[in-house]
Amino acid sequence: MATYPPSTHCPSSSAYSNNSSLINGSNRLPQRTSFPSILRKRCRSTKLYLHQSSNGVSLSKAVHVQDGAKSMKASPVENDGPVKILKDGILSVPPVTPPEESIDIASFDFNKDKSTVSITVVGASGDLAKKKIFPALFALYYEGCLPEHFTIFGYARSKMTDAELRTMVSKTLTCRIDQRENCGEKMDQFLERCFYHPGQYDSQENFLELDKKLKEHEAGRVANRLFYLSIPPNIFIDAVKCASCSASSANGWTRVIVEKPFGRDSESSAALTRSLKQYLDEDQIFRIDHYLGKELVENLSVLRFSNLIFEPLWSRQYIRNVQFIFAEDFGTEGRGGYFDNYGIIRDIMQNHLLQILALFAMETPVSLDAEDIRNEKVKVLRSMRPLRLDDVVTGQYKSHTRGGVKYPAYVDDKTVPSDSLTPTFAAAALFIDNARWDGVPFLMKAGKALHDRRAEIRVQFRHVPGNLYNKNIGTDLDLATNELVIRVQPDEAIYLKINNKVPGLGMRLDRSNLNLLYAARYSKEIPDAYERLLLDAIEGERRLFIRSDELDAAWSLFTPVLKELEDKKIVPEYYPYGSRGPVGSHYLAARYKVRWGDVGSEQ
Amino acid sequence: MATQISPCSSSSTTFPPSSLNQDTFSSAKFFNFSTKSSSSRWVFKIHSRINPKNQFELKSSNGYPLNAISLQDGAAEMPLAKELVSREQAESNLSVTIVGASGDLAKKKIFPALFALFYEDCLPQNFTIFGYARTKMTDEELREMISRTLTCRIDKRENCGDKMEEFLGRCFYHSGQYNSEEHFAELDSKLKQKEGGKVSNRLFYLSIPPDIFVDVVRCASGKASSKNGWTRVIVEKPFGRDAESSGELTRSLKQYLAEDQIFRIDHYLGKELVENLSVLRFSNLVFEPLWSRNYIRNVQFIFSEDFGTEGRGGYFDNYGIIRDIMQNHLLQILALFAMETPVTLDAEDIRNEKVKVLRSMRQLRLEDVVIGQYKGHSKGGKTHLGYTEDPTVPNDSLTPTFAAAALFIDNARWDGVPFLMKAGKALNTRRAEIRVQFRHVPGNLYKRNFGTDLDKATNELVLRVQPDEAIYLKINNKIPGLGMRLDRSDLNLLYSTRYSKEIPDAYERLLLDAIEGERRLFIRSDELDAAWSIFTPLLKELEAKKIAPELYPYGSRGPVGAHYLAANYNVRWGDLAGDD
Repeated sequence: MATYPPSTHCPSSSAYSNNSSLINGSNRLPQRTSFPSILRKRCRSTKLYLHQSSNGVSLSKAVHVQDGAKSMKASPVENDGPVKILKDGILSVPPVTPPEESIDIASFDFNKDKSTVSITVVGASGDLAKKKIFPALFALYYEGCLPEHFTIFGYARSKMTDAELRTMVSKTLTCRIDQRENCGEKMDQFLERCFYHPGQYDSQENFLELDKKLKEHEAGRVANRLFYLSIPPNIFIDAVKCASCSASSANGWTRVIVEKPFGRDSESSAALTRSLKQYLDEDQIFRIDHYLGKELVENLSVLRFSNLIFEPLWSRQYIRNVQFIFAEDFGTEGRGGYFDNYGIIRDIMQNHLLQILALFAMETPVSLDAEDIRNEKVKVLRSMRPLRLDDVVTGQYKSHTRGGVKYPAYVDDKTVPSDSLTPTFAAAALFIDNARWDGVPFLMKAGKALHDRRAEIRVQFRHVPGNLYNKNIGTDLDLATNELVIRVQPDEAIYLKINNKVPGLGMRLDRSNLNLLYAARYSKEIPDAYERLLLDAIEGERRLFIRSDELDAAWSLFTPVLKELEDKKIVPEYYPYGSRGPVGSHYLAARYKVRWGDVGSEQ
Repeated sequence: MATQISPCSSSSTTFPPSSLNQDTFSSAKFFNFSTKSSSSRWVFKIHSRINPKNQFELKSSNGYPLNAISLQDGAAEMPLAKELVSREQAESNLSVTIVGASGDLAKKKIFPALFALFYEDCLPQNFTIFGYARTKMTDEELREMISRTLTCRIDKRENCGDKMEEFLGRCFYHSGQYNSEEHFAELDSKLKQKEGGKVSNRLFYLSIPPDIFVDVVRCASGKASSKNGWTRVIVEKPFGRDAESSGELTRSLKQYLAEDQIFRIDHYLGKELVENLSVLRFSNLVFEPLWSRNYIRNVQFIFSEDFGTEGRGGYFDNYGIIRDIMQNHLLQILALFAMETPVTLDAEDIRNEKVKVLRSMRQLRLEDVVIGQYKGHSKGGKTHLGYTEDPTVPNDSLTPTFAAAALFIDNARWDGVPFLMKAGKALNTRRAEIRVQFRHVPGNLYKRNFGTDLDKATNELVLRVQPDEAIYLKINNKIPGLGMRLDRSDLNLLYSTRYSKEIPDAYERLLLDAIEGERRLFIRSDELDAAWSIFTPLLKELEAKKIAPELYPYGSRGPVGAHYLAANYNVRWGDLAGDD
């Protein structure tokens, strides 16, 4: 909104740019065109593609239309007409400010035609804020992706001055993007827009103070406010309540980014959602799953839907199994307190891997709009069988000495109870009972303290029926099936394993890769997932955020098995720190005639 | 042929021994030998073929010999093979006679290929190589001549010099007229001497002009055929210049040779990536479902040379690029590309499928062809001569040095899919490739991200035969970064980065196959007939109407007519798309 100059559309009688069109009824254009302008900025550093990007993304209807979405969809709210849309941000905030009033207030203001974004990082002194959120915001700023006018507020309980916050933030800022010129300058400019407000997470008063400060900085512009809740789950609701009641934008939108965990089972998740919805509308809640912001996960839909050659293969007819693999090569390392309460299934599988699975397996959406994509994802999740205990293997790493170095066991971690049964590794086989995927095992594997660090999707294709070359392949036909690998990290890559004739006289076949190694193809640094997600939240692009019904469906797949694991106190299989994980995962896979693609002799 | 169960019966039914001189061999085989003996020889050769790559021996040797690929004499049973190997080895002798030994092809390709095979241990233990030509020469002189072109191309391994000496020691020369039965009888007695009473297998490589093919075949067959082993003749193109002359040549050859003695070589079929084409299609699940009109929009076969006739246009002028490249090399690749799945990988099964494709093709029409001829061009101070400025070419020659054509296969799989061919001399690059362009994505969700030119957003599979063998698949991909920009990236397999080994020359493979009796890569008479019948009417019309070729500058991208031809069928040439 910042860069859109709406003056020509705005009769002086109107309070601010948005509502001229709203009040006049039919023409919502000014409000929507503000997004294309932001998008153009998004692509400022890559001008040559401007057309494609701005055409494609911004104009596609309802993608960015968070403020107008309601009127575009056949939702009950539509009946409320322009007034309802107008006060989007304050929709459910009691007491509702009458629109006329806000118009009056705003009309006095000098900056009435302009808008601003205030990003408040709640929990600013935390680790995530320091390591990810502030650097991502800076990267967006550096790339020219933030609106012209923006303010960043840190909010936390610690006493700190603005200067202290800036010092703290500046330590983690780097010019990660290609090391371009005047980085120092940019950094200073960025830090100047960062402020700090100390306060309790459950104090409406403190948030009111914040509101006042925000207003000062907004200086009468249309105020859009984004709250990033980087705080423990037990204070989510308090913070949301206070922020919503005392620090909502009066004339722009107010959005809240929430990080996992979203509850620990169906019930607690639903309770959390219900509580959030007391204070926020569905379209104000941005549940972040940072895996969905990864470049190759974003690319998954592009691969499927913009290439002819993949979609015909994308079904049980050709795909034998799909594997979602996540491995870390380190353990909890003294920070197991949070993890121990959740375990790897909740921490990785139920959210990150399941989200990727849903994107992978969904039917073609009507459009790329957030609602269309999320509708398809929900359909997939609802077609899935709840996970059964026999289809799960859990593990926990034990200590291991290698090369003179002793690596601790999970339960050696001081923040973990010494009798903890929390799994640090899990493998699971899931099934989607729909026409496309009936009978195809979707295998997941996630673990800490394994021998390498990776995240990848592996699509193993079926055997070639009546393969003429079977005799050239030897006895192990499984080695001769095609496999599509999408490596999310490290070293982003896409490759397709094909059988190929080894050059030379005679007829020997081997598996070679048709390769696309990102590092070799794209010189540009790949942006961090948080950058993308923050930008999307600012722009109201909800595609990569999780809707409440998605979350419900996801939990209902995992809740029964999580309960059973805990009720029966199932002991995890122990595996040495730095190993390939419990062998149980091989037997699980073997039961469905699958081999893990990541532990074969060739990868 | 060659099913594993009853090798001999199958071999005798598929390939009735020639009436001339295979009788003795066959009966010897059937009555005197154990049925397995002759076949086991081949098993051994296959072992030795893969000798240098021991680590793959198990897979390959399991796979290959049992698969009846090279079992022209009948498949073997493994247990018997080993014990018989040494006896077999000792008892048979291979003689390779290169008729036209002083020619260019012999020097540049055939002798070096034979040496490479020898170096790789692919030749039988006992073998003799004879040069035959009209020139008077001693054995020594021949050796001297050959040694200049031999190089240890394969990986530069040790004792190359020794190997070379050893090889040259087996090379001999016999001078004689090509139409003299007497001279061939002399050759026969020399061959017998070298064979020393062993079972003699004789391979004649005719590296001579087409007008003396039949003479040589008559003499060789009549006077120098093996009495107790096989006799095979490798023939090089041109196989006639139209359906009639080709039919005539075949009839003449068949007076003296049985079908299974004739090995019509098309060296393009010996190229690594052409060999790989079937492997890609049939051993991968991901390609075959796409291999039809449902998904493929068009297929392009592109051949270009960056040099002209350079003073050697005499032969070429009589044939032209369509006969020289399209009707044989490109059409053969097309047939391999488009054929239905064969019953097995045996030569007869594959060639049956190829013939079916060729016979399903429409005859090429004049309006589906564009011809060109290169003209002189000066670039950077260097002047390249036009085609007609070549002293060996008539000044008023209308022979095309460039041609583009659109062909169609009227069968269920390919109805309506244009198969485009393009071949030319004196162009801007040297390349040979197959390009498979896929259709648009129906209902593409990302349409808006592509801009106006959706043709740039289709997938394309490229098999680059030369230079720098590679396979790549162009896919649409998101450019990393914020925002949603798409581009075409390649899923790549560059041979030079994946395979360190030098890729053998096509002639090595084909010679070895001829020695082993593997006919998969040679052209059967009915294939040849079918190929000619697609092109003959057009060739006749071009000549009868004296159609003038479109002139294009030496070193250019060829006549623009090629673009308009492609555009007629909504196709763009992939090699000129600019994003290669």
